[in-house]
Amino acid sequence: MKRTALVTGAAGGLGALAARRLAAAAWDVVAVDTDEAGLAETALRSPNMHVRTCDVTDPGAVLDLLALIGPVHRVVHAAVTAPAGAALDQPPAEVKQVLDTDIYGTMHVVRATLPGMLERGAGELALCAPPPRAGAAAAASGAVAAYAEALFREHGGRGVTIRCVQLDDAAPPRLALDALDRSLARPPGDLHVRPGRRRPALVEGIRSALNLRPTE
Amino acid sequence: MQAHAIQGERVTLPVRIRDAAVGSAMFAVPARAAQAVIAYSGLEVAAPLPGRAICSLAFVRYADGDLGPYHEFAVAFLVRPPEAEPPGVLGRLRGVGAFIHWLPVNQEFTLDAGRTIWGFPKEITDIPMDLAGRVKRCAVRLGGRTVIEVAVKPGVPMPAGTAAPKVDAYSCLDGVTRRTPWTLTPSEVRTRPGGAKVVLGDHPVAEELRGLGLDRARALSTSTVGHLQMVFDGAEEVRR
Repeated sequence: MKRTALVTGAAGGLGALAARRLAAAAWDVVAVDTDEAGLAETALRSPNMHVRTCDVTDPGAVLDLLALIGPVHRVVHAAVTAPAGAALDQPPAEVKQVLDTDIYGTMHVVRATLPGMLERGAGELALCAPPPRAGAAAAASGAVAAYAEALFREHGGRGVTIRCVQLDDAAPPRLALDALDRSLARPPGDLHVRPGRRRPALVEGIRSALNLRPTE
Repeated sequence: MQAHAIQGERVTLPVRIRDAAVGSAMFAVPARAAQAVIAYSGLEVAAPLPGRAICSLAFVRYADGDLGPYHEFAVAFLVRPPEAEPPGVLGRLRGVGAFIHWLPVNQEFTLDAGRTIWGFPKEITDIPMDLAGRVKRCAVRLGGRTVIEVAVKPGVPMPAGTAAPKVDAYSCLDGVTRRTPWTLTPSEVRTRPGGAKVVLGDHPVAEELRGLGLDRARALSTSTVGHLQMVFDGAEEVRR
């Protein structure tokens, strides 16, 4: 059975690694970005990876993409940007670009993919909250996390696993994706995946032994 | 520069793997039985302890490398280099190589590359793997049937940069035995004595491993590697 994964921001960084790991695990991967050359590099010699250039800030383009690729079983939405510009120094154009990509982009991807998953009663939706470095990126990080909480309240427990990976500069993409994998292996699990902050192993052991419900 | 045409792509040597992750287990097995398993290669198993050979099982996730992303499972034996070697215990251990007896993968590009460039005994199977949990797990399945399942428990962290081992990988495909120079640069290594659980199915390779007692044996040691870089040079034929 072929499972399809949609990975955004797949031309580099965490998105590229997520796409490659899923391809290695024999998923049918649709790798999406605006950077065509970067996408080609991610998909090099990977027969089960398909690349599509798409700008997630364009809701029409995202819907067209979904119509083209059909049902998606896992979404890793990693197309987020986090420039280090400080709140009072950031040019307005940069603020707008960060909010467009990180907040509106996330909403467009969710609105294009979550309804189908809910209809099928199955799926995994992983959103990335950008590292809250400064200014607009910090605002976007909080907004994506709050949006994920709203999705969880409105649609949790209907077969779709929702996760918000809270990126930070302390955890490299490898460890962030390991944390996401561990979290997805526990379907009730916690909504928020915080790769930089590890729970003590003992607490984790007791939690999994008791199979505790989500704490969010 | 040596190059090979694989599925319309030009693969140049050496082949570089920039990011892989590994779970592995080593077992001491009866040398005579192990020798019978690899006799077709013309090589001899290394016997660091009298009467005992070393069989190694490993599962690898290739995330970033010249052969694309894929999963791989390896059954290997430590072998003596085919040329003359210095006598004594140290001589017996020096220049030991790894004979790759079976190397299933789950992607076509690496299948073609592995068989064409190095004569690695690759074939296509399903290889589900969990490398994110405390216990690392892997299974090899053919036509929906399980060939082997391996689980590796967490070990203690090893100091970084202990070695960048250069190993010779040996393989034998279609009656030709080859040697491939192989360099490994591991980091985030954890290791421990014991710590492996092996379940065997009814595939011919599983039968061979059952004959070596792998489903009952305690592993000599198990290791996990969080981040592994590797370089594979071109293969040369070994005269028998």
